[in-house]
Amino acid sequence: MSTLTEAVRSSASGGSRSRRADRIRSSSPRALSAYYWMIWPAVIAFALFHTVPMLVGVFFSFTNYAGYGDWDFVGISNYLNLFKDDRVWGAYGFSFLFAIVATVLTNAISLAIAMGLNAKIKARNFFRGVYFVPYVLAMLVIGYVFQYLFTNSLPKLLPGIPLIADNILSNPDWAWLAIVTLAVWQGCAFTIIIYLSGLQTIPSELYEAASLDGASTWRQFWAITFPLISAFFTINVVLSLKGYLQVFDPIVALTNGGPGTSTESVTMLIFKGGYGGGEFAYQTANAVVFFIVITIVSLLQFRVLQRREADA
Amino acid sequence: MRSIHPLRGAATAIAVAALAGTLGGCSAGSDPGVTTLNFFQFKGEAREDFDAIIAKFEAENPDIKVVQNQVADADTIIRTLLVKDKAPDVITLNGNGNFGRLAQAGVFYDFSDEPVLDTINPAVQDILADLGNKQGEVNSLGYVNNANGIIYNADIFAEQGIEVPETWDELIAACETLKAAGIQPIYATLADSWTSVPSFNGLGAYAVQDGFFDEMRAEGEDVGPDSEASFAQDFAEPLDRELQLYSYAQDGYRGATYDDGNAAFARGEAAMLLQGIWAVNGIKQVNPDIHAAIFPYPTDDEADRLIVSGVDVTVTMGRNTPHREEALRFIEFMFRPDVIEEFAASQNMIPSVEGADLSDDLALQSVKPFFDEGRITGFLDHQIPPGIPLAEFVQESIFTGDADATLATLDNEWRKIAARTIPVTEDRS
Repeated sequence: MSTLTEAVRSSASGGSRSRRADRIRSSSPRALSAYYWMIWPAVIAFALFHTVPMLVGVFFSFTNYAGYGDWDFVGISNYLNLFKDDRVWGAYGFSFLFAIVATVLTNAISLAIAMGLNAKIKARNFFRGVYFVPYVLAMLVIGYVFQYLFTNSLPKLLPGIPLIADNILSNPDWAWLAIVTLAVWQGCAFTIIIYLSGLQTIPSELYEAASLDGASTWRQFWAITFPLISAFFTINVVLSLKGYLQVFDPIVALTNGGPGTSTESVTMLIFKGGYGGGEFAYQTANAVVFFIVITIVSLLQFRVLQRREADA
Repeated sequence: MRSIHPLRGAATAIAVAALAGTLGGCSAGSDPGVTTLNFFQFKGEAREDFDAIIAKFEAENPDIKVVQNQVADADTIIRTLLVKDKAPDVITLNGNGNFGRLAQAGVFYDFSDEPVLDTINPAVQDILADLGNKQGEVNSLGYVNNANGIIYNADIFAEQGIEVPETWDELIAACETLKAAGIQPIYATLADSWTSVPSFNGLGAYAVQDGFFDEMRAEGEDVGPDSEASFAQDFAEPLDRELQLYSYAQDGYRGATYDDGNAAFARGEAAMLLQGIWAVNGIKQVNPDIHAAIFPYPTDDEADRLIVSGVDVTVTMGRNTPHREEALRFIEFMFRPDVIEEFAASQNMIPSVEGADLSDDLALQSVKPFFDEGRITGFLDHQIPPGIPLAEFVQESIFTGDADATLATLDNEWRKIAARTIPVTEDRS
């Protein structure tokens, strides 16, 4: 998050501010107790309802617990079996393919729309409102609308395209594309908001100066806009990828993982196998591995993108 | 056939809390000499029918009071209660794979020596035995059964002069006749993946009669094309036949839902529907006057025909209930022919008691001979571990037309689950 505040600060005129901040901090050696009261409940609640259950889950991943009844310790055999399970590999493959495609599309489309919404267009606030609507709607509600669209409307509208005429959701090779469409459609709303707030931090004098120097619009984008919102770009890419790796709702609404297991994401597999399939401990092991994978991916991304930000 | 709800955990917690409340409430403050039975009931649409049974029973037995606890997601809640040693006195559950696993664990009463057992159709008890009992025991009594076959429009069949198909070739001939007459032979609803499973159960029933699943379980992680039993060998014909049936389905069947199918069949848009008797109520809501009947999925020889039937409601009691005698009295009352007849007719199911009459409903009457002769068999998907997403796999094979790939996948999933399932050691308590 520090990069975000840096970017914001760099656009404001800072100088004497830091000294004033020092003085406030030194005047009282200890923070007000009210601040602790603000912090502690959240920490305790988080630990109680998130960290503790997670640790319990890690514990059960070393057992053969079915979700009820008795259990024994089975060592790391759940983890070993994960690596032998081609359904698990398939789910990871789907999740990463889906996440990468959806992240690229979401960010490209959102940035373009955000630039449009930031320009001096007519009825700007109206359009900003319109593009935020998908975020307000519940995913499952839109999901079922899209399902109707894919299964009933589109086949009638475009009977000439075999892939669509035959209900794309029933095609094991291409159903994922329909899920990407839904996820990107909804995901863009929030990403646009972040890009918009980023674009608004860029002082308009920079563009005036650039246009006086004769820089083309394209050049202005790459030399001014993109570098100055790179912190927002980082946040958006990291958040999108993390969110899309854990994709669940759009799949439930559209295909429920089918046909076969062709659109089964890792989270879907954990849910289906762990609850419906009675393999609680095995899928908990899967969840632990997935948690580690997502953490590593997010850290790597921050590393790479922040280095690029610093270069820019 | 059960949908998994994301809020299941929360709902369970609330239901358990509610149940705990009623349990606490009924133990205190009742008249001395009156025994209160806690009656665990899983079926929402049967609540009022059971209320009627209870009222009649209490009128005849003033010393017993029965409290019905109708719960949602009974499979989870009964486990919770059993783990806590709070087994209800009288229990109804759906006779599915979960029930079999519980019964095998020996948590239910042994009915072997109870006279009421002798009044029940042995074929129904065989289905329950296939699901699982504790070794050498009879842990539950089948109450009402469903029937899974092909629903057909008797009027359309009569108009076209088609006899009810009794062999596979006759079924295909009937489809061809209908097609030639410009009538849609089959309405399929593959937008709901589970609707591909009833026909898989019906056609596959003939492949599992000779101990298929016993062999599969014995083979475990060695299941494959060369093993004694495997999906690839034994299910090649059933699945091929299922795909053949789907070739007579309407255009756009990939986008049609279960409800679409019931409505379309009710309006006479198709002659057959690949669904069991549970769909008949939905069909009659759209068209109360339709003549819908059921015939079993045929095989090569008409004499071999079997109707697939599941025990929709099975009755049992806690192994160590302190009210054994009273609970048995209530159970015996439930199985009295007049009581079970009324319940089965209201639920549109087949009563398990031999000699009990079925309602006049055409669908029920059409399957009655098979029940009378004991030519019924269980749902084979109850024998498949729930970790295998059977519905999605069967649906995919219909979409792609590649039955061999799907059967190989099923074998592969079976192997993996056998390899990674480590049974809980028995002597823990």
